[in-house]
Amino acid sequence: MSDIRNFSIIAHIDHGKSTLADRLLQATHAVSAREAQEQLLDDMDLERERGITIKASAVTVMHQHGGKPFMMNFIDTPGHVDFTYEVSRALTACEGAILVVDATQGVQAQTVANAYLAINNDLELIPVVNKIDLPSAAPDDVAMEIEQILGIPAEDCIYVSAKTGQGIDELLGAICDRLPAPRPSLITQTRALVFDATYDDYRGVIVYIRCFDGTLRVGDKIRMMGVGRTFTVTELGKFTPKQVKVKSISAGETGYLVAAIKTLADVRIGDTITIEHDQAPEPLPGYEEPKQMVFCDFYPATADADSGGKGGADFEELREAVEKLNLNDASFTYQTVHSDALGFGFRCGFLGLLHMDIVQERLEREGGVRIIQTAPTVTYQVLMHDGEVREIHNPADLPDPGSYEEIREPIVRIDIMVPTTSIGDVMKLCNERRGVFRSQQFVSGARQILHYELPLAEIIYDFYDKLKSMTSGYGTMDYEITGFVSDDLVKLDILVNGTPVEALSIIVHRDKAVYRGRLLCSKLREQIPRHQFEIPIQAAVGAKVIARETIKAMRKDVTAKCYGGDVSRKRKLLEKQKEGKKRMKNVGSVNIPQDAFMSVLEQGE
Amino acid sequence: MQGEAQASDQTARDALSGPHEPARSLYLHVPFCFHKCHYCDFYSFVDTRDRQEAFVDALALELHALAPHAAAPLETIFVGGGTPSLLRPELWERLTRHIGETFDLSHIRAGRGEWTVECNPETVTPELMRVLRDGGVNRVSVGAQSFDHRHLKALERWHDPENVPRALALAADAGIERRSLDLIYAIPGQTLGDWKRDVETALAIDPPIEHISCYALTYEPNTAMTARLRRGEFQAAPDELEVEMYEWLVERLRVAGLERYEVSNFARRGAECAHNLAYWRQRSWLAAGPSASGHVRTAGERANAFAPPGNRWKNVPQLTAWMDGVKRSEGWSPVVEHETPDDRRAIIERVMTGLRLREGLDEASLLEAAATIGDASELRATIARARASGLLYDDIDGHLTLTDRGYLFADGVAADLMSTIPS
Repeated sequence: MSDIRNFSIIAHIDHGKSTLADRLLQATHAVSAREAQEQLLDDMDLERERGITIKASAVTVMHQHGGKPFMMNFIDTPGHVDFTYEVSRALTACEGAILVVDATQGVQAQTVANAYLAINNDLELIPVVNKIDLPSAAPDDVAMEIEQILGIPAEDCIYVSAKTGQGIDELLGAICDRLPAPRPSLITQTRALVFDATYDDYRGVIVYIRCFDGTLRVGDKIRMMGVGRTFTVTELGKFTPKQVKVKSISAGETGYLVAAIKTLADVRIGDTITIEHDQAPEPLPGYEEPKQMVFCDFYPATADADSGGKGGADFEELREAVEKLNLNDASFTYQTVHSDALGFGFRCGFLGLLHMDIVQERLEREGGVRIIQTAPTVTYQVLMHDGEVREIHNPADLPDPGSYEEIREPIVRIDIMVPTTSIGDVMKLCNERRGVFRSQQFVSGARQILHYELPLAEIIYDFYDKLKSMTSGYGTMDYEITGFVSDDLVKLDILVNGTPVEALSIIVHRDKAVYRGRLLCSKLREQIPRHQFEIPIQAAVGAKVIARETIKAMRKDVTAKCYGGDVSRKRKLLEKQKEGKKRMKNVGSVNIPQDAFMSVLEQGE
Repeated sequence: MQGEAQASDQTARDALSGPHEPARSLYLHVPFCFHKCHYCDFYSFVDTRDRQEAFVDALALELHALAPHAAAPLETIFVGGGTPSLLRPELWERLTRHIGETFDLSHIRAGRGEWTVECNPETVTPELMRVLRDGGVNRVSVGAQSFDHRHLKALERWHDPENVPRALALAADAGIERRSLDLIYAIPGQTLGDWKRDVETALAIDPPIEHISCYALTYEPNTAMTARLRRGEFQAAPDELEVEMYEWLVERLRVAGLERYEVSNFARRGAECAHNLAYWRQRSWLAAGPSASGHVRTAGERANAFAPPGNRWKNVPQLTAWMDGVKRSEGWSPVVEHETPDDRRAIIERVMTGLRLREGLDEASLLEAAATIGDASELRATIARARASGLLYDDIDGHLTLTDRGYLFADGVAADLMSTIPS
C-alpha cells in the first residue's frame, strides 16, 4: 500500500488543471501524445467547450520512481465556484492534492478556496506554478503570493509548463516522495467510500469508490450503509484512462463498481459500501448533502400559457430531458410548477449560478428542448409565529404578512480577489449589496483579497458581471454559504390595472424595493401594448404603492385604406391580431403578452 | 415590384366557372408610374421599355374574356394604378372604344352609372380629359396627397401642387362632372396647422369637388418608407396627432357638406363612390390587369342573403407574366390567389368592410346569417360589449354603426366581431 498515491488537482478556473492532468497521464505513458490532444478526463462536449470539468472522474496509472513502481490514482475535480461540494467529496478520497496556480495570473479566489478545502481535509499540498513558458510568467512572484496567502513556503513550489512538459518529471517525483501513502486498514471489515456516480444507459449506475478498509470483489453482495440497500457487484474496474476490468479493489485503491443499480436515486454520494455478510460496525465519515440554494423555473419556450397545458408536447419533451439529466446530475432538484404566464414547467434548484447555467445548456443541447428560464431566486426561511420554519423557493408561496415573525435569507462568506486599483469600486459594490466587510488581505502590491459577508440573493443578481466589468475581468470570487440570517425582507407585488400578477412577485430587501419596483414597472410599460384605456402598472409592498408607470390609452386602431384587393390580406391580419391576443394572459382586463413576462422574469437588466 | 407570389396553374376562368351573379362592377389596373413612391404598396413600376401598347392589347383580350360575366348594363368602372393617366391619349382612345364595344355602358352614359379614372395631377391635359370624357369616363380622382412641397417631398411625390387645381379645372372644362381628390395626413413632420391648410386648399378649389379621400399615412410592410422608418431615419407622426388631425378633418368636412361615409372617404350626399361601395358591400366585380383582384358572388340558393359567399381571386402581379398568360389562355390571366366560396368567410369579410361604412351593417341580417352556421350568442355578446364601450351606436334603424369614437377603433371592433362569428 506504501506505493499507492491518491491525489487531486485543484485550481482556479483556466489555470491549466486539465492540461496538467493530460500531461501527467502522457508522462506516465497512459496515453499517447495524439490522444493527449484532447483533455481526457473531461468526457462531455460541454465541459470541453467551456473548458471546465463538471463530473469528477478517477484515473489509475503506474509510474516508476526511485526504482519502484507507484500506483497513482488521480481523482479529477470540477473547477468552478459552484462545485465546492463536488471538490470536497473528491478530496475526501485523496491523501494529497496538487494546487495549480497560473504563473501569469497568480493566486485567485478559487485557488484560496480550494486550498483551504484541501487543508481542512488534512491533505498534503504540492503547490505548482504552471504556464512558466509564457512570456508574462512571473513564477517567483506567484510563489511568494502562495507563501503570503496560504503559508506554504515559496521554495516548496514546483515550476512547470504543462504545455511544454517542463518540470513534469519533478512533479511526478514529488507526488511519489511528498504525498503520503494511504493509511492502513483500521478494521478487518470492508469499507469503501462512494465519491461519485454516473449513469450509463447499458449498465445502470456506475459508482466511483475509494476503498479505505478491506477488499471488494466481483460477486460480493454489498450494502450501502446509508441508503440501506443491497446489490451484487457484477463488475469492478479502473480507468487507465481506458476502462479496465479488475477482480478486486483493496484498501487504498480507487476504481468503479457496477452492480445493476437502476437509478442514481439508489446511490448517495458519501455513502459507505460494506460487505453484506460481514458489515463494518460504522460507516466512514460521509459528506453533507448538497443544498440547492439557487432556484429558477424552466418552461418550454414554445408553449403558450393557455393551450400548452401539462399534457402539451413541449412540456413532455422538457420533462423527459429534465428526468434524463437528473439521472446524471442528482445535485439539481426539480418539481412541476404552473405559472399563469408561462404555463407548465419545472422549478429547479441548483448548487449555484454556474450549475444553473450548465443544467440549462445541457437540457437544450442533450435534450433538444428550447427553454425559457426565469430569473434565479434563493431559498428563504420563514419563521412562523408558532416557531415553525418554512422554506420558500417561490415568492408566491410566501405566507400572508402578519402570519410570520421574520424572513431569513442565505448569507455567504465571499472571497474576492481584486486588483488594488479597483478595491474602492468593489467595496462600494459590496456595500450597495448589503455586504458586511470582514477583512482585507494583502496578496501582492497589485492585488488584495476582500472578505465579505453578503446575502446570496445579492450575488445572484448580476453581481459577478458587475465585478468582472469593474475589474476589467481580473476580479475573481468564491463563496460559501454560511447560514440564514433574518433581514427586513418584503414581498414586492406588481399590479397591472389594479390586479396583482402573481408570477411577477419578488422578495427584496425593503431598501431595494423602490429601485426594483421602478425597474419592473418600466420594463412592463415597454412590453404591454396600449389598450383602449389607460393602464396603471404599480409596484406595491403590502398595500403601499411604491412605484408607478402608466401605459397611455391607445388612441386609434383603424386601417386607413381597405379596398377590393386588400380584403384577404386585411382579413388575415385582423385574424392574426386576434389570435395573438388569445395567446396573451388576461390580467385585470389587460392582455399581457408572454414577452412582457419574459422581459421581467428573464435574467439581466 | 411585388414578386413574391407565385402563379399557380389556375386562371381567372376557374374563379368564374361556377354559377354566379353577373358582376355590375369592373376594375382595371394600370401598373405604370413615373416613379415608385416609397410609401406605395400597390403593384406599379416605372416602365422603361414602353410596353403601354402591348399592355392595352392584352387588356383588350382579357376584357373580351370577362365580358360574358358582366351585368348588362354595367354600373361602375374604376381604373386605378399605378398611374392610369400615364397611358398615352391614343391608347386611352383605343381602350375606351374597346370597353364601349365589349360592355353595355348605357347606364354609365346616361349618368346613372359611374366610370372613374385615377389621375396624377401632372399628367392631366385638355386632350386626355377630352378623350376620357368622350370614351364615357364621368369621374376623376386626382392624387393630390398634399399641397405642401415639404410633405410631398417626404412622400417622394414630385408633382407641383399648383397642378392639382389646374388638373381638376381641366377635367371640369372637359365636362367630367364628378371630381374627387386624395390627401394624405400624418406625414412625418406635418403639423396640425399644415394639415388644416391642405384641407382648406382642397375645399377652396373651384369649381368645387364633390368627394375627398383622406388617408392617414400607413406604413405598409415591404415598402421603402417602412424600411426607412425601421432604420430610424425619421419619426412617424404620433398617434395623438393623427387622431387630432382626423377628428378635426371629420368636423371640418361635415361643415363643408362632405359627410364621412367610410373611414377615409367623404362626399356630398349622393356623390359617394359607387364603385368603392360595391367593394365594401362585398358585391361582385370583375378584375382586369396585373395584380387586379375580383370577387363574384355565387348565384342560386341564397341561404345567406347578408353575405352571399363568392370566389375571390387576384391576377398575377407581374406585367410580363400577366401579358403572357392572357395571350396564352384566350384572355384569362393567371391567378396567384383564389379563394372559393365559404359561408363563414363571406360573413367575416362583409363585417370587416361593411363596418367601415356610415350605413353600417344590418344587425338582424348579420345575426340571422351567423345563426345559419352556428350559435350566434357570442357574437350577440360582442355586439353588446362594443355598444357598452361606446364604440357602436345603440341602434340606428336596426344597423350596427360606429360612433365617432368607434371609427378610431374600427379594426378592433371588426376583429372582435369577426372572431365571434360562429364556426
